[in-house]
This record gives sequence, C-alpha cells and structure tokens, in this order.
Amino acid sequence: MARMILRLLRWAFTVWALASLLFLLTSLLPNEQQLLIRLSETATGSRMPSSEQAAVAQQAVKQRLGLTDPVFYLSPATTNSSFGWRWQWNGTHNQYHRWLSALLRGNLGKSYRTGETVGITIIEAIAVTVPLTYLATLCIVGISIPLGVWLGARSSSHWLYTALYMLDALPLFVVALLLLLLLANPDYFSFFPAFGLGFEEDDSSGASTLLRYPSFIVLPLSSLVLSGLTEPTLQLADALRHEAQLDYMLTAQAKGLTRKQALWRHGLRNALLPTLTLFTELLPNLLAGSVVVEFVFALPGLGRLVADAAAARDYPMLLGGVLFVLVARQLTLSVADWLYQLADPRLRISAS
Amino acid sequence: MTRYLQNVFIFLLLSSCGVAGCTSSLKSEAVRIRWSTDPQTLDPLVASIPQAQEVINLLHCSLLVGDRNQRISPWLAQALPIVSRRDSLTLLTYSLRPEATWDNGQPVLAHDVAFTLKLLNCPGLPTEFARTQYGFVTDIELDVKDPRRFTLVCRTAASGIIFSSGDFAILPEYAVDPQKYLRAVSLSLLQTDTVAALRQYPGVRSFARHYRQSNYGQHPERLPGCGPYTLKAWAKGRYLRLQRKAKWWATKLTPSPAWLQAHASRLDYQIIPDNAQALLAIRRGDIDLYPMPAARDFDQLRHSADTTKLAFYTTDSYEMVSVGFNTQRPFLRDALTRRALSLLFDVPGLIQATQPGLAYRSVGIIRPNDKPAYNDSLSLAPFDLRQAANLLRQAGWQRNSDGRWVRGATETLAFSISYQANAPDHEAVARQFQAAATQLGIPVKLNPAEEQLYRQQLIQGDTDLHVRTTRGNPFTYNFMTILHSRSIGLNNFTQYRSKVADRLMEAIMLEQNESRRVKLLRRFQQQIQQDSPLVVLFFIRNRLIASKRLRGVQPLRVRPGYDALNLSVALLGK
Repeated sequence: MARMILRLLRWAFTVWALASLLFLLTSLLPNEQQLLIRLSETATGSRMPSSEQAAVAQQAVKQRLGLTDPVFYLSPATTNSSFGWRWQWNGTHNQYHRWLSALLRGNLGKSYRTGETVGITIIEAIAVTVPLTYLATLCIVGISIPLGVWLGARSSSHWLYTALYMLDALPLFVVALLLLLLLANPDYFSFFPAFGLGFEEDDSSGASTLLRYPSFIVLPLSSLVLSGLTEPTLQLADALRHEAQLDYMLTAQAKGLTRKQALWRHGLRNALLPTLTLFTELLPNLLAGSVVVEFVFALPGLGRLVADAAAARDYPMLLGGVLFVLVARQLTLSVADWLYQLADPRLRISAS
Repeated sequence: MTRYLQNVFIFLLLSSCGVAGCTSSLKSEAVRIRWSTDPQTLDPLVASIPQAQEVINLLHCSLLVGDRNQRISPWLAQALPIVSRRDSLTLLTYSLRPEATWDNGQPVLAHDVAFTLKLLNCPGLPTEFARTQYGFVTDIELDVKDPRRFTLVCRTAASGIIFSSGDFAILPEYAVDPQKYLRAVSLSLLQTDTVAALRQYPGVRSFARHYRQSNYGQHPERLPGCGPYTLKAWAKGRYLRLQRKAKWWATKLTPSPAWLQAHASRLDYQIIPDNAQALLAIRRGDIDLYPMPAARDFDQLRHSADTTKLAFYTTDSYEMVSVGFNTQRPFLRDALTRRALSLLFDVPGLIQATQPGLAYRSVGIIRPNDKPAYNDSLSLAPFDLRQAANLLRQAGWQRNSDGRWVRGATETLAFSISYQANAPDHEAVARQFQAAATQLGIPVKLNPAEEQLYRQQLIQGDTDLHVRTTRGNPFTYNFMTILHSRSIGLNNFTQYRSKVADRLMEAIMLEQNESRRVKLLRRFQQQIQQDSPLVVLFFIRNRLIASKRLRGVQPLRVRPGYDALNLSVALLGK
C-alpha cells in the first residue's frame, strides 16, 4: 500500500514538474500578440486603428486573458525589491498560482482562440484519438505476437523480414498517403471514404453508425498499424530465436512438444519481456503519430488539436493536451511495470 | 486465420458500401463545400477567421452587404443611408426594411441596431477588436416617430465609412438582453468611460456575465439571427451544417434582389485540412465545391479526364503577391537600391512556375481591371540584371574585387528574404530572387519562418525583404493600413515613411469626388513606383472547382470566392 502511494506521489510529481516547466516556458515567450496579430490580418482598406488605439486594445486583451499579472511567485525586480536586489516576491497574485490552483480543481482554463473550456475540447478530441490509438495498439499487439512467433520459427533471411524493414523505413505520412491514394482514389480503388467520420444524421440509428464507423477508421488505423508493426514483431522473432537455442526449450521438445508448441508455451513468456517495453511505448508513440494521421484523414483528434494550438500559440489548449499525454504516458509506464511482474514472477519477488 | 481476415475484409467493404449509400442519399439535398479549417468560434464579437465570418453572414444579417458585383447593397436597410453633415461629424440615416423580422416574428427595429452597437462596446466582453473597428460610430439617434429609422453619428468623413457603418451582424435585443440592461446606457458613455458606465449602470455587469455564460461562440444556436439559415449541426473539426429557414422574411419581398435569396436548402461545410485529401474528395464526389485549390492542382485537374464531372471557374481577385523592402534598413533606405532590386524578379517565370495562367501582372497596388484608377502610363518592371547593376551603381554601390557590392567603407549589400515556411509559392519567389541576386554578386539568405513567428517579425520590422500575399477591399481605396507611417508597428511592414505618400493616402480616403479621387490614385501609384517600398509581383485569380450538379456557381473576386446563397443542387432528372 505504502509503495502504491509512493508511486502515485512520484507520478504526480513528474506530471507537475513537466507541466509547470512547460507553463513557465510558454509564459515567458513574447507571444501575447493575439489582438495585434488579428489587427495585422485585416485586409487593406479596412479601418485602421492608430498605434495608440492598438496599444490600448492590446493591453485590454492581455488584461482579459490574465496576462498582465506576474508570471511566477518570483520575478526580476524592476525597482527596489523586498527580496534581495535581484528578485521580487509577487505573492500568490501570479499567473502560475492561478493556473495551478485551477488545475487542482480540474479546470484547465479557456482557449485563447475560441474561449471554449479546454477540458471539454480535449475530451471531444480524445473521443476520436483514444479509440483509434487503442485499436491500433490492440491490432499491433494482436498481429505482432503471432507474426513474431511465426517468424521466430523461420530463418532470418525470410522475405517477410525484408518487407517489414521496408515498411519501417517509410515515414508514417507516406504510408497514410499511399493507403489513401490506393484505396480511396477514383483512379485505383475507391473502397473506403477518404476523410473524416461522416455525418451524424439525426435519424441514424446506433446500428447504422456502428456499421459506418469502421469504414472511416480503417485507413487511419491501417496506417498506424503498418508503421508500428515492424519493431515489436522483429524484436519478438529475434528473442524467440535466441530462446529456442536454450536448454529448457530442447527439454520441452524432448518431452514431446513440437517446436511451435514449445515456442508458444515456454519460449514466448521469456521472449516477451523486452517486447513488453516496446508495447508500452506504443501508446505514446501512436499518440504522436496520430497528429499525422488525423491531418491526412481529417480526423478531429488530440494530435491535430495540440498541433493547431501550438501553431496558433493557444497555450491553455496546448498545456491541456500535453498534460493529457503526460498522464497517459505515466499510466502506460505503470502498466508496463505490472505486465513485467505478471510475465516474470522473479521481478515480483525481488521487488518485494 | 485466413477465413477470419476474409470476414473482416468483407465487413469493411460492406460498411464502406453503407457509407456510399448514406452519402448518396445526402447528395440529393445538400450543397457540400470544402473548408480547410474549423470556424473555431461563431461569436460575432470574437470571430475572426474567414470561415466564421462566412457562417455569421448566413445566420445573421447586417445593414449593408457587398453584392456579387462588389457593389454596396442594402440588406436589412431599406436603402443606402442618407449622408449629411453636422459640424465635423458625418450623419448616416438608415431605415430598416419593414419585412425584416426575427425568427419569433418580431420586427427588426432600430433598438436592435442600437443594442448591437452597444454590445460591440460593452465592458467585460471581448470587444477590443470591435472597438477599434467601429469606434468611429460615436452615437446612435433613434427616430421617435419611426421605430425603424435611426441615425449613426460618425466622427470621420472617410469615403469608406458607408459600408463600414453597416457591415456588422445585427443581433436581437429580445434574445440577448431580455432585461434590456443596455437600453438605458448611451453608446458614447460606453465608448468613452467604461468605469463610469459600470458605476452608473450596474446592470451592464450582469449583462456581460450573462453573455459570457451563454457561450454563443460554441453554441450559436442560442443566438437567433435574421439571416436565411440556422445552424443544424456543428461537429468541431469535422463539419458544420446549415439549414435554410422554412419562413425567412426576405422570401416575402417582391421583387426579391439576388442577394436576398437563399437557394440551397442545406449547406454542409466539410472540414478537410489537407489539400490532397480535398482534391480526392471533389474527384470522388464527396464534396461539391472546392474553393481556392492550389493553382497547380487546379491547372492539372482542368486538363484531366475529370472535366466531365467537374466545372472550373476563375475570376480576378483583390489578392496580390508582393515583396516588401524594410525601408528602415540602412542599405534599403534609398529608393534607387530598392528599384534596382525590384528588377531581379522574373515575374512571368514566377507566374508560370507558381500560378500557371492564374495570375496577372500589375504596375502597382491597384488591379489592372480597375480601369479608371489603374495608372496604365506606368510600365511594368522588367527582369533585367544589367539595368539593376546600373541602378545600384547610381545608388553609390560599387562592386569590389571579390565580387561583392559595397558602399563607402562600411556598407555591404547582403541581406535576407523572409517568407512563410509552408507557402511554396512564396518560397519560389524567394529562391528565384536569390538565384538572380547571386548572379549579380549579392548574397541573399533565405529566411523561412513559421506563420505566427513570421507575422511577429513583420510587425516588429525584423525582416530585410519579405514576401507576402495581401488582400484588398473592393469597397474603398484605403492604403493607409499598409503604407501609412502611422501604421508602422501594425500593418506597414515595409516601415515606409513618406510625407508625400501619407498626404496622398489621406486625401484618397477623404475624397468624395470620383474623378478627383481617380487622379489622386494615379498619382499615388506613380509615387509608390518611384519610392518602391514594395514591388507588386502579380495579382492572383480566384479559383473554384465545382461539381457539375451544382447550380448558381459564380466566382467572386473576394473571399470566400463564391456566394453560398446562390448555390443549389440540380435535382435528379432535371
């Protein structure tokens, strides 16, 4: 129990430290030009504010967004300070304190661009990204294990090795575009819809939505699976080949098991340990990859949301997105620990 | 295992057929238009991106509207305003159409216009941009006898204020401010002293809170408008669907002007960020209209077999691609050097490379098709390295033994050209210029920057030369935003300061007489060519790719490049 609490605290600390660092870095950038940029976007011929008007308006925007307060508890002193000669103490009246207090209450703030609550926007985006990435993870795990075992029983010069290496060499966006141009193109095969998730019709039943959804998801999912398949498959195949040389495997075969049976029943459990690390890395990697896939297939997921927020300097949204990724990553690391112990009881004993 | 995979494949194929069935049923009703990005927010106070403006103009009506021929036309107003003067003030008297009603049947009245103007200046709301845009309307005087008649008091006499005074969406007081908190407050007080306004009228604070809580930006369905459409569905980042109102007030008008008709029963905006995807979508028939495709894609497609299913439209636009010189840089301070560098752009080659057949040259910042105002006595800058070298020598530059251009003991002609990183057309301009300059012995560094960073560099004057696309306004000649010395630090990215040009721009803006304005405009173009703070490379043509089932497609010179109100779908069998 104490270990659990300790681990939870370590978790919370890591997430807090990284998120705080990101918050402070973004706050220190000279970026609060939301309105100035908007004024500079106006077309030629529109009414022109004077520079004084623009400055007043800019200040009002900063005030509205809460950007006029000091960033942190301490800031470089402008006049005689109470805290040495270099720094001044701002008390709790600062942007970081406000952000952290709101965060502890579960409030991630509001988007600079849309004014929408960040939490709600992220949940909407997660609803697209998480099913996609989890499905991709499941598919990769589900395909790479049997494929790895199958390849482990064969020579390393098998043609499938070459094919997998070639697939691994292709960047994700190339895989996505190839699939798109091949399977959603009127010039070749137009099997699947090319973009989005379709319309939610008012009169559509749950069954028809369920029927339509897979066809929209199949190309983005295939892109993620094809790009992520090589590493765990080849790692497992090599580990199995190594295990197959060991005495316990020979014993198993001597007791009457076939090579395939021995690999599945005894070899796999031992060979799986290093592959588990790869599997747990899958989810964060797929989240990163989802940026590309969501852009190419026009899916409104977390990757696109975070990328757009970064491009538009929408820091509350960006921080919210990063925070989610951090938590997801911490979770997968814990799952990795748990899986390790499940796969190898020796780790559990040594840990206790 | 193989059988399992076969089953999965068959299921996916069946489901894709299901999608095809669903989409074909949709095809018969909706006009489907491609958007590259989500409108993000539909709050009229904060909406800034063109997609949001487009939807707001379909949900709400303003007093005036630019029609398909870029003429100012009355929309909610019965006619263009009557202009009169009171001391230094300009008075614009409007009457609203008696037919105009809100969705609940109540008439649109002068009180709604007054309410909207007060909302645009209301403290506690994100009105900073609106205040800078509509701050010139200092008061509104309501006619006591006629509830539809009112007068806007404007502090300027600029030629463009008529359209500016009527281009904001009129919002319903009954829905947004049912307590009528803002009715008692005067517009001038809200504009000049927000603190006093809040002190004297505490209800303003409650109103602002209520407005913020209503979250109209994300829930536009809570904000009824008097436009032809209502929001049916909005899946963020995916699509936005508008439904034509069964009883829109303008349908009662006889005769009904073209800009007061809405043909499509449903408008579906599909958000497809990637251009390659959008191209596939229009070819597959997933969308009906693809506005402003990349010039190369447009050119390739119109020469392909897809012409049987697709129609291609182009028209002139007010968008120009230009290269600006930072006139505050010591080596770019003199006009001769700038004029010399202007000769290093191979404009015909650039048009061929980036906009094949879809752009045209101009001597300056006015379109050649704008016949009276365009100064055709000026000549186009040639691509001439020898002449450029001569001009540089006249500017005092000398080529030294290592091939570099120097002036005096300290100045060396070497600089960078900045452009937006993900704009291939701008990059092509920069690369062509670099190649020509290198031939002449001038080292040029390419400086691509991410969009927001680039804009910041431009605002702060952190560039030497910059490539950019500028959008013009068809309703007025106001170049003060981009070239007046007062706009330095805002939109005057060339940092150009010229008393002569400043006076000319001010005179153009204030001049009411058409022939005198034309003279001023021609003189201004001459001045700009002489001073060369920027070189206009070309004006681009607006482009549309439309499905042949679409009716009423008419390319417009201004963005979004089409008139959604005029679009409709040809019914099967017709």
